[in-house]
Amino acid sequence: MNKISIPIGPHHPLLKEPLSMNIEITGEKVLGGSLRLGYVHRGIEKMATQRTYVQDVHLIERICGICSHIHTTTFCNAVETLLGIEVPPRGLYIRALMCELERVHSHLLWLGILAKHVGLDTVFMHAWHDRELVLDIMEGISGGRVSHAANQIGGVRFDISDKQAEMINVNLVKLKQQVSGVLDVIENEPALQARTQGVAPVSAELIKDYCVVGPVARASGVDVDMRRDDPWSPYDKLDVKVITRPEGDAWARTLIRVLETRESLRLCKILVEDMPDGPVSVWASRKVPEGEVVTRSEAPRGEVVYYVRSDGSDKPARLKVRTPTLPVLSLLPVQLSAIHVADIPVVLAGIDLCVACADR
Amino acid sequence: MVNELNLETIIEKIQTETGCDCEAYPNITNDETILIPADQLQMVMAVLRDQFGIYHLSTITAQERDIEADQSAIELIYHFFYLNQPGDGRGISLMVRLPLDKPNIASIISHLPGADFYEREVAEMFGVSFTGREATPKLLLPDEWEHGPPFISSEVSDE
Amino acid sequence: MKLSHLIEKTYRWAQKRSLWVLHYNTGGCNGCDIEILDLLTPRYDIERLGIVVKASPRHADVLLVTGPVTLQAQAGLEQIFAQMPSPKWVVAVGSCSTTGAVFYGSDTVLGGVDRKLPVDLYIPGCPVRPEGIIKGLLQLQERITHGK
Repeated sequence: MNKISIPIGPHHPLLKEPLSMNIEITGEKVLGGSLRLGYVHRGIEKMATQRTYVQDVHLIERICGICSHIHTTTFCNAVETLLGIEVPPRGLYIRALMCELERVHSHLLWLGILAKHVGLDTVFMHAWHDRELVLDIMEGISGGRVSHAANQIGGVRFDISDKQAEMINVNLVKLKQQVSGVLDVIENEPALQARTQGVAPVSAELIKDYCVVGPVARASGVDVDMRRDDPWSPYDKLDVKVITRPEGDAWARTLIRVLETRESLRLCKILVEDMPDGPVSVWASRKVPEGEVVTRSEAPRGEVVYYVRSDGSDKPARLKVRTPTLPVLSLLPVQLSAIHVADIPVVLAGIDLCVACADR
Repeated sequence: MVNELNLETIIEKIQTETGCDCEAYPNITNDETILIPADQLQMVMAVLRDQFGIYHLSTITAQERDIEADQSAIELIYHFFYLNQPGDGRGISLMVRLPLDKPNIASIISHLPGADFYEREVAEMFGVSFTGREATPKLLLPDEWEHGPPFISSEVSDE
Repeated sequence: MKLSHLIEKTYRWAQKRSLWVLHYNTGGCNGCDIEILDLLTPRYDIERLGIVVKASPRHADVLLVTGPVTLQAQAGLEQIFAQMPSPKWVVAVGSCSTTGAVFYGSDTVLGGVDRKLPVDLYIPGCPVRPEGIIKGLLQLQERITHGK
């Protein structure tokens, strides 16, 4: 049979963001594909060196709308290390709470998109409806649904009152109840299992060769999670359960995120209950002393790495960001070989694309 | 595999196995960094992988830095991450310096395919030339980009 | 009332009551995009206003653009707009597509949809709340009632 090349993107119903792929097929079998990134490249690393550190917090939050908080958290961690200041414990707890809430919202978003691609539209509606509860909590404490401006260099911008803490607890209980319904369906739905089991299996060796991170790596048995392995306080006190699966197929990638959502809800409850009293931020000078630092965090999609170099002024000399979707995208052409055309949406949904993160 | 890794052990092993001239670069917080000659990169990476089980490359950072007065170089930092044990992760970096007028270095994608995107980004942003691989097509910059590497070129677009 | 006037009024009433929108992301951070997708979900349910999100430019009346228009994505934007049949409207959703917002001045970004296409409505916000997008679309409906 002849080889046909199908272009997908940059605008395509399967994709929320512009990304260009060329998929080669013969009959119903996919032979491979190639990618063209760069549609969302806004030159953030260069712009960061032309703005002050304070302005950069605002800029970096807009690298990605879905995982905005973890980016500013990692950046603020880096700058605070260079400044030699320590964020008070209450501030760190609030940062971690927003991180875990963001993880829940990101996984529910992913679940809806996966369900939409696979044909379970009702699950999409339920997942995104439940996600509104998470956004309500985030809006209740920070004032923003998607972009919260929670972080500032030296701590967080707002405190949580007792009334707000009560609101969070009530909503977490409600969310856990509602979300259990959807998550139970996903875990036990035979149609979804039939659609995803055995599809595009990725071995642990391939994960290591392509330096893949996040749930995709953990779904192939690679046991690494920055919350446990390179923790910033209070993660060093929380006993984060790292979930891995050995199968490495699309079903494993689905199940991992479902289980991670449950784990994050558990962590949110602990963070609210155990939150210490005290201030939420310290004063930070605008000029940062000379130095270089590397910081890592666990975003919903995997390991985020920031390298910041300061030359003693109020603007960074170099900012380097590596987001988790970039190595996962480099694995995509390999994943696309030896699957069928009908499995393409399942594979794309399983890797949880965030092209805005990858392109910066 | 050595269970308790520290920088001195690693540098000693590298010097024994490859004979290359490497030294610790102490200024990067959170990442132990070793400054190595650019032509020894692949051999040092092989030592890290085979002797110490360090294989996960987080990213390749490139920057232009003034090494001494009147002398700039393009610095490439290869950031690695390894687990001493679950719960104890460490960062280790290899730093190489390339001359501004001839920034060439051997590509590592034959050993580590995951470095492909990172090398392509460094090539287009800094004009570094990676030898031993196919040409580096554009990764992030638009097809119609006519100016030089954005982080090096002094041309600023008018848009 | 003259017959032609009545026909035109009915035509505009039908038009504003069933706007089919196409969403195109020209390089935004996704914040506005997920708020647009949120409109489909039960809490906001934009279909009760007759607005349906479609995938093909040939089916769409309104183009919702997000993102500051990166150089790489601008060609796609032009082609999609050209494929949409008249009458068509362009709505710039979010501060990025209005002015470029925080990305204005970057070498790889045009900064604002109006540098490429004629924009009928700007909805600023970073990101725009779903209520804001609904308000904007209702204003567009008002405009259509009065003949653009």
